[in-house]
Amino acid sequence: MTSILPWATLAVCLLMAVARIPSAIRGENRVLFYLFSLITLDILLSIEGPYLAIDSWLGGFNLTNLLLRFLLYGTFLLLGIKLATGFGSPAGVRAITGGAGLAVLAIVAALTAWFFLVTDTRGSTVGLTGLQGSPSLEAYAALGRLYPGYVAVCLMPGIWRTVAGAGPLLLRGTSGLLLLGLLLLVSSQIFPLIPTENAWLLPLINYSAALATVLGLGGIWLSKAYYRRKSHRDPGFSQKY
Amino acid sequence: MPLPSKAFQRWLHGIAPDASTADVCRISGIKRTTLAQQLVRGKVAEATLVSISRAFNVNPVAALATFEAYAGLAGEAVPPTPAELVSQIDTLDLLRAMVARSAPGTAGPGQSLAATPHATSVRNWVDAIDDGELRHRVSEATRIAPQNFSAHLTANRLPPELAVATSRAAGVGPAGGLVATGLITEAEAGWPAGARQEALDRMTRGELALLAGERLQALGKSLRRQEQDHERTERIWENLG
Repeated sequence: MTSILPWATLAVCLLMAVARIPSAIRGENRVLFYLFSLITLDILLSIEGPYLAIDSWLGGFNLTNLLLRFLLYGTFLLLGIKLATGFGSPAGVRAITGGAGLAVLAIVAALTAWFFLVTDTRGSTVGLTGLQGSPSLEAYAALGRLYPGYVAVCLMPGIWRTVAGAGPLLLRGTSGLLLLGLLLLVSSQIFPLIPTENAWLLPLINYSAALATVLGLGGIWLSKAYYRRKSHRDPGFSQKY
Repeated sequence: MPLPSKAFQRWLHGIAPDASTADVCRISGIKRTTLAQQLVRGKVAEATLVSISRAFNVNPVAALATFEAYAGLAGEAVPPTPAELVSQIDTLDLLRAMVARSAPGTAGPGQSLAATPHATSVRNWVDAIDDGELRHRVSEATRIAPQNFSAHLTANRLPPELAVATSRAAGVGPAGGLVATGLITEAEAGWPAGARQEALDRMTRGELALLAGERLQALGKSLRRQEQDHERTERIWENLG
């Protein structure tokens, strides 16, 4: 199960990215296409096979992991902007793209690079699980979880308002899925507290979070298409929504 | 609480001893599967009983009164209060009356009032019979949580048993709530023909203006809420769909 999940997540992300190509060509919401492509790349780099292949090409000292961290920060910045704007949360947008949000991003990014440099990272190993444990490695891993967690927390109130609100049912359900993904993401902050014999939980939570977020995001698009078609057939419906 | 199957079948045998279930469904326009399902579950909906009563020319209130849970409906019909009557007039009819009285000749030909129930009839009825402590007494008598009672009013519905309990708690005629929820017509509840119109005609212009104003205020709030929900949904779809 834990070996299928990463590939299943990758397949879903790739499908979403491909499905966005036609609208990206038409010029509708291109950012979503970039976002799904970025997430696909993130997932690809977090799976053992592709990771080892790319890392051996980059010198075999886990530079790929640092690259993945920065890609993730970019993904979450983009995701945060889109979601906060969409879910009508000006406070959320400010917290992510305002001075504070960008300061958090800059500090996290700089510290991530620094902790990477001071850690002995020789020997390709996906998720850096094969490296000798050290405080600097712990700090590096914690920073990698911190920024996505920060963005997720900023987004939650706005999304919750939609889930609890009176919008179309499909939209509320899919927003709920999105919220679940973000919740799982935030829960990853407590990873250091999980005992090592339950280490299998970590990838499970990570990939479930990614899967729920991507499916939720895709579901919003689906709900739009569904209700647009429905209101096209039944004009009375559009007065309701 | 819906009606127990056994008692229902005894009642049905009493009013239509020779009719088969298929006949009963055909005459009363109820789907056979619906009735069969309700009978199997042991709970027959009050609306089913009302439809069958009408088909066999039995007064639905008298029919309901033969069941233990609705024994309170038995006996001579209690006339509605003027406030109850006016609460069952559609907001548009109130506004039309206001215009007709303020500037005679400009409101067009006199129209009869729209049939009960109207879009906010349940809440307006409860407000009309509420002395300020009604909700408290209803939740005490029926053990319904106040927020659930409010949710019913917002959705413009009230289970029949709760409607009867509300009338009892307010000390008004027991069938008024069933008119407000649309289960029965005003004639079936024993309200004199034209009683609503007479109650409206007896209102002074000031009373009418205040009532119409209150209704407009509530209507405006609910429309505004709908518009805001709609805007929120549109913004999500515009950014993420």
